[in-house]
Amino acid sequence: MAEVRIRGIVKSYTSGVPVLKGVDLDIRPGELFFLLGPSGCGKSTLLRILAGLVKPDGGSISFDGTDIGSLPPEKRHAAMVFQNYALWPHMDVFENVAFGLKTSGVRGRELKEKVMEALELVRLADFARRRVPALSGGQQQRVALARALAVQPALLLLDEPLSNLDARLRDAMRSEIRRICSLRNLTALYVTHDRQEALSMADRIGVMHGGLIREMGDPEELYNFPRSRFCAQFLGDVNIIDGSVRDGSLMTPFGTFKLNGKAGPGCVAGIRPERIRIVEPGRPGSFEAVLEERVFSGDTCDWTFRVGEQRLFVRESAPESRRIGATYHLAFEPDFLLALTDADGE
Amino acid sequence: MRRTFQYLFFFAVTAFLAVFLLLPVWTVIETGSKPGLIAEIFRNRIYVEGLLNSFAVAVVTTSGVFVISLVLALIYDRFDFPGKELCNVLMLVPMILPPFVGALGFQQLLGHYGVLNTLLDALGFARIDFLGGQGKFWSVCAIEMLHLYPIFYLNLVTALGNIDPALDESAANLGAGRLRRFFLIRLPLMRPGILAGGSIVLVWSFTELGTPLMLGYTRVTPVQILNGLTELESNPLPYTLVLIMLAVSCLMYLVSRMVFGGHAATSAKGSMGSSAKKLRSWKRFAAIGAFLAVTCAAATPHVMLVLCAFSRRFYNTLLPRGFTLDYFDSALSTALVLPSIMNSLRYSVLAMVIASAAGILIALASCRWRLKGAVAADLLAMLPLAVPGVVIAFGFLSMSVKYAWAHAFFNPVENPLWLLATAYAVRRIPYVVRAVTSGLEQTPEELENAARNFGAGPLRVLAKVTLPLIAANILVGGLFAFSFSMLEVSDSLILAQKARFYPITRALYELSQILGSGPGIACAFGVWAMFFLAATLAAAGIMLGRKIGSIFKF
Repeated sequence: MAEVRIRGIVKSYTSGVPVLKGVDLDIRPGELFFLLGPSGCGKSTLLRILAGLVKPDGGSISFDGTDIGSLPPEKRHAAMVFQNYALWPHMDVFENVAFGLKTSGVRGRELKEKVMEALELVRLADFARRRVPALSGGQQQRVALARALAVQPALLLLDEPLSNLDARLRDAMRSEIRRICSLRNLTALYVTHDRQEALSMADRIGVMHGGLIREMGDPEELYNFPRSRFCAQFLGDVNIIDGSVRDGSLMTPFGTFKLNGKAGPGCVAGIRPERIRIVEPGRPGSFEAVLEERVFSGDTCDWTFRVGEQRLFVRESAPESRRIGATYHLAFEPDFLLALTDADGE
Repeated sequence: MRRTFQYLFFFAVTAFLAVFLLLPVWTVIETGSKPGLIAEIFRNRIYVEGLLNSFAVAVVTTSGVFVISLVLALIYDRFDFPGKELCNVLMLVPMILPPFVGALGFQQLLGHYGVLNTLLDALGFARIDFLGGQGKFWSVCAIEMLHLYPIFYLNLVTALGNIDPALDESAANLGAGRLRRFFLIRLPLMRPGILAGGSIVLVWSFTELGTPLMLGYTRVTPVQILNGLTELESNPLPYTLVLIMLAVSCLMYLVSRMVFGGHAATSAKGSMGSSAKKLRSWKRFAAIGAFLAVTCAAATPHVMLVLCAFSRRFYNTLLPRGFTLDYFDSALSTALVLPSIMNSLRYSVLAMVIASAAGILIALASCRWRLKGAVAADLLAMLPLAVPGVVIAFGFLSMSVKYAWAHAFFNPVENPLWLLATAYAVRRIPYVVRAVTSGLEQTPEELENAARNFGAGPLRVLAKVTLPLIAANILVGGLFAFSFSMLEVSDSLILAQKARFYPITRALYELSQILGSGPGIACAFGVWAMFFLAATLAAAGIMLGRKIGSIFKF
C-alpha cells in the first residue's frame, strides 16, 4: 500500500479541449478513494495517467514520496481493473492471473501458489483452467480483479469495473471488492459515475467535474453537507429553493430560515427530499403545500408538492395513502438546509 | 519498444517501399513521359485501339461483375436459406484459378471444335467463332467477369454486413417501399464496398495480361507492352504505354472515388443482430439456384481444365473419349515443370517473408505505434492494388537496366530470385497490411494496455499479447501473399527470362504454346495449381469467415 500524491495534473487532447485542468489529490495508504463524476469529466483520463497509459501535459505523481511520472506503465506497480476487464482471450484464467507475476520473474510453485491465492480471494479457484470467453460477465470481472491483486500492487486502479454487470451482481461485487480491499489493506483509486457505488463503498470521495476535483470528503459528509449545487445534485436528489439569502437567512415563500452562517454571496439553498416531513397541521414551522404527483419506487415514495410557485419533492419510506390535489403540511429542520454555491462546478 | 526503434523499423519499411515500389514506377514515368513519345502513342492507331479495347474490357467486365455480385450479395444479406454459408464459400471458387489458366479451360469450351460448338453442331446449328474476331473481346470479358466477381461480392457482403438493420427498418417505418429503401438507404451505405471492390476489378481487368494473351487477343495495351519488351533497347514506346496505362488506372480510381466515395456512411451494426428473412418454399430454391448458377458458370473453366488434363482425346466431342494420367506423367518428366515448381516455391516463400514483415510493420506503425507518416505509409502500401502489375514488373525491368546497383542485384538474366521475390512481395503487401490491420482493429488496445499495466515491456507485449491475438490474420495475409505469388502472371511473364528460372505460370504459358501434347500438360499442371490455391483460400476462409472480404479492400 502506497501513499499517492498528485499535483497539478493537466491534460488536453489533440482537439485542444482541456480534459484535466490542474488536479491535486492525496490518497492515504490503505484508503479506498472514489473519483465520482459524470461522463467526460476527466476521471478515467486521470486514472490512465496514474497507470502511465496516458501522458499528462504537466503536473507530478508520486508514490510514497517517489516521483513516478517518468516511469513507463510496466514499472509503476499500479495494477488496473479495466472497464471491459481486458482479459486476454488466448490465455486461460490461470495464465491471465499469472501474467503479471511472470513478468516480475515469479516462477514454479510460488507462481502457482500466488495465482491460486488470488483466485481463492475472488472465489474462482475452481475456474483456473477455464477459457476466458466461457466465463460470465461477473466471473470475468473477478478474474480481472484477481489478476490485479495477484501482483500485490502499490496502487489498485479500478475503472468503472462494475458498469457492465446487472444490478444484482453489481450489488454483490460491491461488497466483494470492499471486503478484498480491506483484507489486503490496499490503496485503491476507483472511478465511477454511479453515486450509489461511491457512497456505499468509499472511504473518501472526490467529486470531479470539468477537469477538476470540486469537492472531497467522506461519503456522509459529502452527501449531507455538499458545498456546491453541482455536488449536491450529483450525489442525490435535492430541492433547490426559490428565495434570497440575506444576512445569513433564507427568505422563501414559506418562511424565513437561519442558515447558521453557512451562506455566502451567490448561494442558493437546497434540501434533500428525505429531510422534509409531512406533518400534522399547526405544527410550529410547518407550511401548507398542495400534493400534485406521486412516484412509487417500492421501498420509498416520492411526492411532488407545490407551495406557490415552488415545487418541493418529499421522499417517504413506508408511505401512507394520500390524495392528489389535497393540501398537506410540510416541515423540516433548518439545520438540514444546505447553502450551496450556485456554480455548476465549472 | 522505444520510440526510436519504432521509427527505425518504420523508416526501413518505408525505404523499402520507396525503392521497390515508387522507384520502379518513377523509372517508367521518367523514361516514358517524353511529350514526343506520348504524342506518338496517340498517333499510332494500333496503340490507341489497344487502349480503347483495354478500357472497354474493363468497363464491360466491371459492369457485369457489379450486377452478378450485387444480386448475390443482396440475397446473402437479406435472406436465410439452407446451405447459405456453403453458398458463400462457393463464391470463392473462381479465385482458385488465375484467369490466365482458366483461359485454357475456356478454349476447350468455346473453341471451334470445343464442347459448345460440338453441341451446336449436334443440334443442327452452325458453329460460332467464339474465340475469333469480336468473339475474343467478349470471351476475355466473360473469363475476367467469372474470375473477378468474388472480389466485388466479398466487398459488398462486408459493406452490407456493416449496415445497421435499424436504418432500413426506420425507413420502412416511415413508409418507404422496398425499392425506395434500396436506392435511398442501402445503396448509398454500400458505397465503400462498391468503391473498394469496383476499383480493384476495374484496374485489374484494365491491366490484365494473361487472359488476352492466352486467347490471342493482342490488341490490348498489356499484351502490346509485353510484345514490346523484345525491342525495348531500341524502342522506348512500351515505357510510354506503361505510363499511359498507369495514368488511366489512376484516373479510373479517382473517378470511382468521386462517384462512390464521399461520405461513406457505414455505421456499426446495432445489437439487433441479423435482419435476414427466412425464405420458404420455392423461394429458398431460387436463392440457392442463383448461387449455384453463377458458381457453375464460374467453375466451367475449372471443370474443362480438369477434363482436359485427364482426357485421352477431347476434340469435337461433348465429353472426353478415354481418360489418362499421361499428361501428369509427362508434366513430371518435362524439363520445365519440376524446376518451375521449385523456382516458384523459392520465389514465393521469400516473397511471403518480405511481404509479411513489411505488412506487419506498416500495420503496427499505423494502428498501434501511431507514428508520424504511418498513415501515408499505409496508403503507399495499398498502392500496388491501384498500380497495374505490368507497370511494377516493367518498372523493375527498367530499374535493372538503368541503375548499376539494381543490375547487379536484380539481373533477370543471371538469377531473378531477389527480383521476382521482391516484385511478388511488393504486389502482395496490401493483402498482408489489410489482414493484419483488420486483426489489430478488431483487437481492443486495452488488452495490450493491460499487459503493460501488469509489467510487460513493449517487446513482451508484442510477443505475448499482440502477435498471438492477431496470429490468424498474419497467417491469412501470409497465405495470400504466398499463394498469389505462386500463381502470379505479369511479373512472371515479364521478369523471368531464362527457362531455368521460370516460375509455374511462365512454364504454364510456355507449355500451352507447344503444339501436340503441350496444352494437355499445361492443363495437368494447371490442375495442380488450382488445388493448391483452393486449399489456401479454404484455410483463409475458415480462419477469417465473413471478414475475408476485408483482404480485398483499399
